[in-house]
Amino acid sequence: MEIHIPDMVWAIINFLILVVVLNKFLYKPLLSVMEERKEEIRKNMENAEDAKAEALKIKEKYSEEMHNARQEARSILERAEKLGEENKEKIIAEARQEADKITEKAQVAVRREKEEALTQLRNEVASLAIMAAEKIIDKNLDKKDHEKMIGDFIKEVGDVS
Amino acid sequence: MFATPAYAAAAEGAEHGGALFSLFGLEVSSVVTTMWLLMAVLIVVSYFATRNLKKLPETRLQNALEFLLEFILDFLTQAMGSEEKAKKYFPVLASFFILILASNYSGLLPGAGHLPGLQAPTSTLSVTAAFAIVVFFSTHYYGVKEKGLSYFKHFLEPIPLLLPINVVEEFVKPLSLSLRLYGNVYGEELVIAGLFALLPFVLPLPMMLLGLLFGLIQAFVFTLLAALYIATATAEGH
Repeated sequence: MEIHIPDMVWAIINFLILVVVLNKFLYKPLLSVMEERKEEIRKNMENAEDAKAEALKIKEKYSEEMHNARQEARSILERAEKLGEENKEKIIAEARQEADKITEKAQVAVRREKEEALTQLRNEVASLAIMAAEKIIDKNLDKKDHEKMIGDFIKEVGDVS
Repeated sequence: MFATPAYAAAAEGAEHGGALFSLFGLEVSSVVTTMWLLMAVLIVVSYFATRNLKKLPETRLQNALEFLLEFILDFLTQAMGSEEKAKKYFPVLASFFILILASNYSGLLPGAGHLPGLQAPTSTLSVTAAFAIVVFFSTHYYGVKEKGLSYFKHFLEPIPLLLPINVVEEFVKPLSLSLRLYGNVYGEELVIAGLFALLPFVLPLPMMLLGLLFGLIQAFVFTLLAALYIATATAEGH
């Protein structure tokens, strides 16, 4: 247990050299890499946190929009139903009107047709009667009597009809 | 070779081996060459391990070294109270830990203490005292650097009457640091050498395993105390 000054001096020199060299080749590079990694992990975690918050916000917005869209769809459907109902009534009313109009027209046509047919029938009957009368009286009558007879006959027929 | 006067020889072997040669007019002994060897290994490993660092470690070496530095940093952070401080004094304190640990373990190498040029540096008081002196000066240097001349006020606290005791305490610190480290490593080596001399096969093994544990603990304790001294010297509000 004795002190050797040269050993001490060398030990101090050696230690100081080691501090400088290891600082350059071991501590600084390795610690900086570790620090960078730590920083990156921290940043990534922060980013993940932000992304999560963002996603939650978007999800909330999305569900709200979804809700709104559903409501809008419901109101559109309601409006459409109401509109359809109104249209239905209108169409039915129009159809009814149209039907009435057609019926009326048909009635008018039938009436006219009937009148025409009657007129025609009257004329036909008149000529038939003349022919029949001619056959019966064998052209004995002069024209004047003839016409009078016809007139009477027509009057008679007209009264009957 | 390990026969009869073995215990004495082993004990002697753990003593200072004398100068091997001279460099720049300074004697170079076995502990110095061993330190150089350890430094060379540490520096070469560090150099090649940090050539190609990746953010995602790909090599086991990077993982292992990151684990080591993280471990030291955590431990210094706990000892000094803040990571900022631990990082600031990291180079000096981590180097103490690594060099002392390597030195302690170098005593477990076969032939350590017997072969010329190979002797655990921390098994001599000269080296542990040198480390303690570095701690002593760096503590007060950092204290003055952080707080200026007001650093010396703490010698007058809690009352100026205690000045002599405070001063003595400052000198006891390096003394205890160096003696503790030297005594543990030297003693352990002596025991291993003795056991080896008695029966060179199985007998020294348990002690060598304990030596692994003690070597770690002593490196730990030295670094912890150095960290505490520096933390105290640079603490705010003293």
